[in-house]
Amino acid sequence: MQVFNVPKSIKKDCTFTFCAGCDHGVAIKLVAQVIDELNIQDRTLAIASSGCSVLLYNVLDVDCIESPHGRGCAVATGAKRAFSANGKDNIVFTYQGDGDFASIGLAESMHSALRGEKITAICINNTNYGMTGGQMGPTSVLNQVTTTSPMGRNEQYHGFPIKTAEQIALCDGTCFSARVALYDYKNIINAKSAIKKAFEYQIKGLGFSFVEILSSCPTNWKLSPQDSHTRIKEELSKIYPVKVFKEK
Amino acid sequence: MTNKVLLKGNIAIAKAALESGCSCYFGYPITPQSEIGEFLSSEMPKRGLGYVCAESEIAAINMALGGTATGTKVLVSSSSCAVALMQEALSYAASDELPIVLVNVMRAGPGQGYIYPSQGDYNQAVTGGGNGDYHTIVLSPASVQECADFTQKAFYLAQKYRNPVILLVDGLLGQMAEGVEINTNPYQEIDNSSWRLDGNKDRTSRKIHSLEPNETALNKHIVEMHKKYRYIEENEVQCEEYMLDDADIILTAFGSLSRHAKAVCNYYREQGVKMGVFRPITLYPFPKKRLSELSLQAKQIIDIEMNMGQMLKDVQLSVLSNAQISFVGKPVGSWLKKEEIINIIDNIIKGGVNAGI
Ligand SMILES: Cc1ncc(C[n+]2csc(CCOP(=O)(O)OP(=O)(O)O)c2C)c(N)n1
Repeated sequence: MQVFNVPKSIKKDCTFTFCAGCDHGVAIKLVAQVIDELNIQDRTLAIASSGCSVLLYNVLDVDCIESPHGRGCAVATGAKRAFSANGKDNIVFTYQGDGDFASIGLAESMHSALRGEKITAICINNTNYGMTGGQMGPTSVLNQVTTTSPMGRNEQYHGFPIKTAEQIALCDGTCFSARVALYDYKNIINAKSAIKKAFEYQIKGLGFSFVEILSSCPTNWKLSPQDSHTRIKEELSKIYPVKVFKEK
Repeated sequence: MTNKVLLKGNIAIAKAALESGCSCYFGYPITPQSEIGEFLSSEMPKRGLGYVCAESEIAAINMALGGTATGTKVLVSSSSCAVALMQEALSYAASDELPIVLVNVMRAGPGQGYIYPSQGDYNQAVTGGGNGDYHTIVLSPASVQECADFTQKAFYLAQKYRNPVILLVDGLLGQMAEGVEINTNPYQEIDNSSWRLDGNKDRTSRKIHSLEPNETALNKHIVEMHKKYRYIEENEVQCEEYMLDDADIILTAFGSLSRHAKAVCNYYREQGVKMGVFRPITLYPFPKKRLSELSLQAKQIIDIEMNMGQMLKDVQLSVLSNAQISFVGKPVGSWLKKEEIINIIDNIIKGGVNAGI
């Protein structure tokens, strides 16, 4: 009896190099399952960003280009426009960190949403700059201790975190914006269905579709994988509600 | 009968790009190149092609990364201080080996500077304004006709070498109207099916990346890039030689200023002075070998630029003889007039002093 299948869109014999307990593995698996179910593997282009998410291109078995830090949605815009100029209906999606999507790349992200680019963006919100060692990022929550907010994020001193899915939902060109989490089975199922919807919206050509995924970063949070998931459940999902914010 | 029409350099570039099969344009307004985007904003949608008024030059050049990765010909245009914003992505494009064509219609800098003419971006274009060990091919037109012809050539070279190409245009040429014929693209199409990202239907999936954590692989990649550059240096150098057969004074100038240099040369020839003009057309690869050869017969080399002596360094590196090298330059504003140049050159010929304005 075979219970688990590796999705077809995951490369054979690839090595996962994410830290133990990191949610990237689950997120990428869901993306791969959705690509399989929608039967779009042979016409999908993934844009991997700078950050831990760049490792996507070592595991996901679709064409992939790495983007400069933050510019994923601009790279995706160019690719999607080029495909459509050539009469092709290829699927283009970005896989970005929260620092990438919502800090250095906020202009590119938001303007792609405002223009209603027919692309899908997936943003991994791990409340810090993961790859560079856990510095305070745009999504680090108030009081969160990071390597650059050693006394905790202070609203007077550091300012406030961004609620990305809510902001993107406000853009008129957005057709779908949701925040999901991966801390238990039910949430994983919901996350998958949100990712699937986001891709379906792109296939229908309805505009910019967006999924923010609350993800654990045990290494930088200095928590066990279990405690990391507890943090998402007990603390983060109160600040960052798991919810569909817009569905056209 | 020719099909000559009167066009601004900017429009000639846009039309030639369409003739080259360019199917996407991404840009953000900046004088003196805005006509390129304005013209294409009506032409691209009419033809079902891609046009995005990008939110910034950073976005525009990154759209070009994505567009070219699919195997599509993409044009991006901008000017000086805004081309500075594009350097990160240009460095990625060089490493990713993506054939972006970038037009820089130069204005004066540094900083915001102003929209006066200047050739202040020679270094930015030629020595690679971004990080790391790479080159972009740089073409320098001297007329509106060449703006059109070199745009087509830029697309060809970009595809042929999978390398970004910069068309470095004097602001004056972008704005000036001359008779020009937009030729049907004379270059062959380059097959890009071996690398473009258009879906892994009949092949394994591909990835295009500059990130390379493996030291050996990164070394190898950069060495391979430089093998390509050596090949380009051997095969793609282009220059124009004017009255150089017996010249013992060589004027060096690029872009539209070379036309003034020719006028100056004509004046001195009438006086019986054996002068000629050497005009690099490819600024990278610089026509070093040819200038070296020519310098053997020359007593004096006088470099004229609308900057404080940027190409001068390449001239100095090329000259192997004892010929004296002088510089005539002005960083900003209306072009040096023929008479101004002659005044300075008279001094140089008499006393051999370096002079600037
Ligand atoms: C222009 C630029 N600035 C900074 C960096 C360094 N850098 C690489 S990844 C990264 C942080 C990424 O954080 P995030 O986007 O949140 O993704 P994560 O690694 O957490 O998944 C930074 C700052 C870079 N590569 N490029």
